[in-house]
Amino acid sequence: MNFTRKLFAWLLVSFTFAGLVQAQVTPDRLLNAADEPGNWLLYGGDYDSQRHSDLTQVTPANVENLELQWVWQVRGRDGAAEKFEATPLVVDGVMYTVAPPNTAVAIDPVTGRLFWQYSYTPLPEARVCCGRVNRGLAMHGDSLFMGTIDGKLVKIDARNGEPQWIIDVAPPELGYALTLAPLIIDDKVIVGPAGGEYGIRGFIAAFDVESGDKLWQFNTIPAPGEPGSETWSDAAQIAWETGGGSIWQTGSYDPDLNLTYWGIGNPGPDWNGDSRPGDNLYTESVVALNPDTGELAWHYQFTPHDEMDYDSTQAAVLVDINWRGENRKVMLWANRNGVFYVLDRETGEFLLGEPFVSVNWLSGFDDNGRPIRALYPTEEGTFIMPNNQGATNWYPPSYSPVTGLFYVPTWLDTYSVYTKRPVEYTPGQQYVGAFPTMAVPALGVNPVNQRLPEEGLGAIQAINPQTGEIVWRHIMSNVTDSGVLSTATNLVFAGGREGHFYALDAQTGDVLWRQTLGGQIAAGPMSYEIDGKQYIAIAAGAGLFVFALPD
Amino acid sequence: MKIFLRKVRGLIPCTLFLVPCTWALAQEHSYAPSDIENGRGLYQANCLGCHGDNGDAVEGANLSTGRFRRASADEDLIRLIREGIPNTLMVRKTNLSYGDTRAIVAFLRSLPAGGGMVADNREVRIGDAARGESLFFSEQTRCSACHGVNGGGNLLSPDLGNIGATRTPFTLEQSMLDPMAEVRAGQRFYQVTAANGTTDRGLLMNQDTHSVQLLNENERLASYNKSELSSHGFISSPMPSYLDVLSPSEVADLVAYMISLKGEQ
Repeated sequence: MNFTRKLFAWLLVSFTFAGLVQAQVTPDRLLNAADEPGNWLLYGGDYDSQRHSDLTQVTPANVENLELQWVWQVRGRDGAAEKFEATPLVVDGVMYTVAPPNTAVAIDPVTGRLFWQYSYTPLPEARVCCGRVNRGLAMHGDSLFMGTIDGKLVKIDARNGEPQWIIDVAPPELGYALTLAPLIIDDKVIVGPAGGEYGIRGFIAAFDVESGDKLWQFNTIPAPGEPGSETWSDAAQIAWETGGGSIWQTGSYDPDLNLTYWGIGNPGPDWNGDSRPGDNLYTESVVALNPDTGELAWHYQFTPHDEMDYDSTQAAVLVDINWRGENRKVMLWANRNGVFYVLDRETGEFLLGEPFVSVNWLSGFDDNGRPIRALYPTEEGTFIMPNNQGATNWYPPSYSPVTGLFYVPTWLDTYSVYTKRPVEYTPGQQYVGAFPTMAVPALGVNPVNQRLPEEGLGAIQAINPQTGEIVWRHIMSNVTDSGVLSTATNLVFAGGREGHFYALDAQTGDVLWRQTLGGQIAAGPMSYEIDGKQYIAIAAGAGLFVFALPD
Repeated sequence: MKIFLRKVRGLIPCTLFLVPCTWALAQEHSYAPSDIENGRGLYQANCLGCHGDNGDAVEGANLSTGRFRRASADEDLIRLIREGIPNTLMVRKTNLSYGDTRAIVAFLRSLPAGGGMVADNREVRIGDAARGESLFFSEQTRCSACHGVNGGGNLLSPDLGNIGATRTPFTLEQSMLDPMAEVRAGQRFYQVTAANGTTDRGLLMNQDTHSVQLLNENERLASYNKSELSSHGFISSPMPSYLDVLSPSEVADLVAYMISLKGEQ
């Protein structure tokens, strides 16, 4: 073969495979992610965070034939003991995900073989309240973006796993950590820090995807004089400095309204609000920001002056529905505080608030949609439902435009006794108060369940957004930290701590297929298509499991 | 609703139990009350999430016993907490300074022998341990027919060889007079009935949505699919109440005997 022919052959090969391996995720592709159901381009599937797949190969009729295709086991010195919470991306024939704490990987989504692995070693100063976790990646061009538990943002070359830059977002020694999957809007990468148990002052910040320069920052706790600061009314005017307001779930985005929606975590200290009188904006709120400037368009506060750690760090699920005779752009939100909300996402108007579990901390809503508070922690201890881990949590729910139902991973009817104790701030240490009682242990502590039913069950619940009514519930004898995926063929995929992964009938909740994965599910399921074959992926225990129909 | 209410925290005066305080005092350090109080808060903030209110939420790592498999000296404990245990959920606590960690150890060391993590200042009559031991092995009580003391007994009933290090006198008395008042996870009994009417029962080892795992009355492990059962559920513990069987002084003697059981030395 002479040189010219060799060159020609090489060019031919390059062009043939260019589309497969040379991923270029443009802002346009992200805006039109719905046109590419075979890929999973964003953490929530699309900017609307509906986690709904339009793939149709797997149906209620054939789902019982799903077979395991491959398993990828997390490796590493202490990886196996960590919670594996990431939802993978699949882009042009390559899967990208994060093994805990901060190991990004590129995997062949057909065979499960690794292309590359990039392990970022967090600084020993990193401190996270509740696990060295990461929930996923964002992609722009040929680069991936990963937050780290020591407060950094890493840009990684998606082709070989080489880091391109690492920037400091927030100081880990003060308890700031990045656990969320970043969000790309245009040429910006947007993140915010966890750390609500360390007296941080939270924020949402946008960085230039090329330079890493910070473009804007929205502080979730206003400084004195700024709008919202009147809700921090301590005489000394110092509570805001350690006011919390963490971010640990990826925001959503409505390109038409040009608003990005973020849920904000608890105020600090968690369980004694005496030092921070007032509503404590913008903790426990959803904020709608202009992604070009970080400017606040509106906010809604779910739990004013929270003392129950009901972080509003859920995904904002954006839905266009006919709301009582009128087409409206709404937001569905099942909150950790036990209430399911429908908000107008153009204005923030409160449309509906209905409990989806037993709840006793509020007795209803006033005309403006503000909760009427019934209970507070006391020095003697107050019995409050739901419990400290909440009725749901960061676990991403799903909305199916086919059924019109909202699917929520739920802890049913749990309680905590909240006791008010004195608490002082020491930089870098937990700033919380007295830990509430909980019958259900923290995730991963003990896989044995010897609890009584009244000590906590889990469920996947289908909610009718028009009424808040529970249409069906699939009850499990242990709680669930699993996300949910719905599909165009009326399937709902989800699991729980018991390690069972289910395909449920989206209309009825009937179990159509079940596979035990032998480890707790604390991640979001997703679906993708390669060469005409639909795959379903879910992390469980220390493994990533992928299913498809037989060839 | 009393079981839901948080019990009052605080140290129990050793004298209340008529048991010596030597265990706590015998440590190489004596800690200042402020260290202990500080350590209590740090425990709540950093440890309680996994180790629980009673310090016994982690299988095989009951912090309330005063004995630690991987550490005996206080410095070992401090190192263990700060450095963590590889390949377990006991991760490095890099947020804790040496002083913080020492305070947590001070708190753990301050707990009265047998006091558990939660103080319990309800008064209980304590009798004579030797008389209690005789009663325990007597035909009158038949305690030892089920419960072993460092061996013996059956597998469905807790061995009581270390019970004095893990229970308060009040809970010891309560478990004799009103055994169903508080049945802990791990000591709960479960019964299954198959479609053909046959039943099995025993200690609930584990359960999930679709199955239950028992150590049955024949001391055999058995697993049942719920879909194949006509009924299943928790049942009362076989532990009888001694309220109308023993006199108050006999109960006090048994409490005294059980307080004395602190494992094989």
